[in-house]
Amino acid sequence: MERYLNTPIKEIITSFPEVGKILEEYSIGCVPCTLGSCLLKDIVAIHNLAEDKELELMYRIEKTIYPERDIKKPVFKASKKEPDKEIRYSPPMKRLVDEHTLIKKWIGLIPQVIENVDIESESGSQLILDGLDFIRFYADKFHHAKEEDILFDYTDKNLDIIRTILADHEAARGHVKEMLKAIGEKDTNAIIGHLCAYKDLLTEHIKKEDEILYPWIDRGLSTTQVGELFAKFNEAEEKMDKGVIEKCQKFIAEAEQRIENFHRS
Amino acid sequence: MMDGCPGARTQDFREKETKGDESGKRQSQLRQWPIQLHLVSPEAPYYQKADVLLSADCVAFTVGDFHKDYLKGKSIAIACPKLDEGQDEYVEKIKSWIDDTKINTLTVMIMQVPCCGGLVAMAQQALQSAKRKIPVKSIVVSLQGDILSEEWVEA
Repeated sequence: MERYLNTPIKEIITSFPEVGKILEEYSIGCVPCTLGSCLLKDIVAIHNLAEDKELELMYRIEKTIYPERDIKKPVFKASKKEPDKEIRYSPPMKRLVDEHTLIKKWIGLIPQVIENVDIESESGSQLILDGLDFIRFYADKFHHAKEEDILFDYTDKNLDIIRTILADHEAARGHVKEMLKAIGEKDTNAIIGHLCAYKDLLTEHIKKEDEILYPWIDRGLSTTQVGELFAKFNEAEEKMDKGVIEKCQKFIAEAEQRIENFHRS
Repeated sequence: MMDGCPGARTQDFREKETKGDESGKRQSQLRQWPIQLHLVSPEAPYYQKADVLLSADCVAFTVGDFHKDYLKGKSIAIACPKLDEGQDEYVEKIKSWIDDTKINTLTVMIMQVPCCGGLVAMAQQALQSAKRKIPVKSIVVSLQGDILSEEWVEA
């Protein structure tokens, strides 16, 4: 089993698809992950399951991998370590979660944008361009930059979970680049394809960060580090152009109405 | 046992079984004097950019490993939100920690009795009126020294 504890989860799921289903039962969503390079032992540690749940999970995985072995079923005593169902974030982490709320509003609007996409009209292409500005300036420069330039310095950047998150950021940037190109070429299908892919990527990415990454980082931070992070986030925000951020917030506030108007006309 | 205010109700814990390592001596983790909130200057050097612990008076007598687990690495002030007078001055001093001394974090450690909640309320009032914002944590201790909750406070 030691060998599999140090094996990337994608390899395990490919060889034993049942393991993916078992992980999902414990709210561990490795199956749709874009990389799947996290080691099984890290995944189990990062998810902070109650002790009895962790024992049960490992028993079921081992039994799936080695069905012929006589593996002793652990006694599942009710655990004292039952993590809170409600996730409580430290103030700097809460700020990142709050920023996700605005990004999720844009993601929620993407299906309507796709339905009404009209790259030939000025208002239609402007809506897409403004949406891309929101992604570039708010989701990327304002939000992802805080993670990449500040938060991840408090982690080991070589860990697979961090590499997965960074790969998501790069993939998102790739979609934006392709969408800008597609607007120039008036390629509606490419715009729709990349908007859809961006929506799916960010939906999964935000869930991963809110439910797994941020609570895991929070558990390892000292009170002093929480204060430092909070101060560094403040400094980073002060350096940013407030007008651009306000414009992004205004875009989300008005986007729904713009899509509706566009639909009526 | 008497009824009445939970903060003043007589309770006897003499029968409680004590566990833990009684051998060896621990060093004090106190790095400053004075400590009482009326006596301290909020601009004292040991508060500059520090992680500050604002503890209710009773806490240090209740938590067995107070020095090791909570005071270590922090600057402290103590106060009693039930008995102390001049609490407006307390709010001003906390605000000065945040704005002038630019403390890094504030941890407010209180007993579970209702009157102790006033210390957290003072910290929140100071935080709301301060120009700077900092993370504030509240830790609630049971009458027998267990940690009941430890959470970050909304500004």
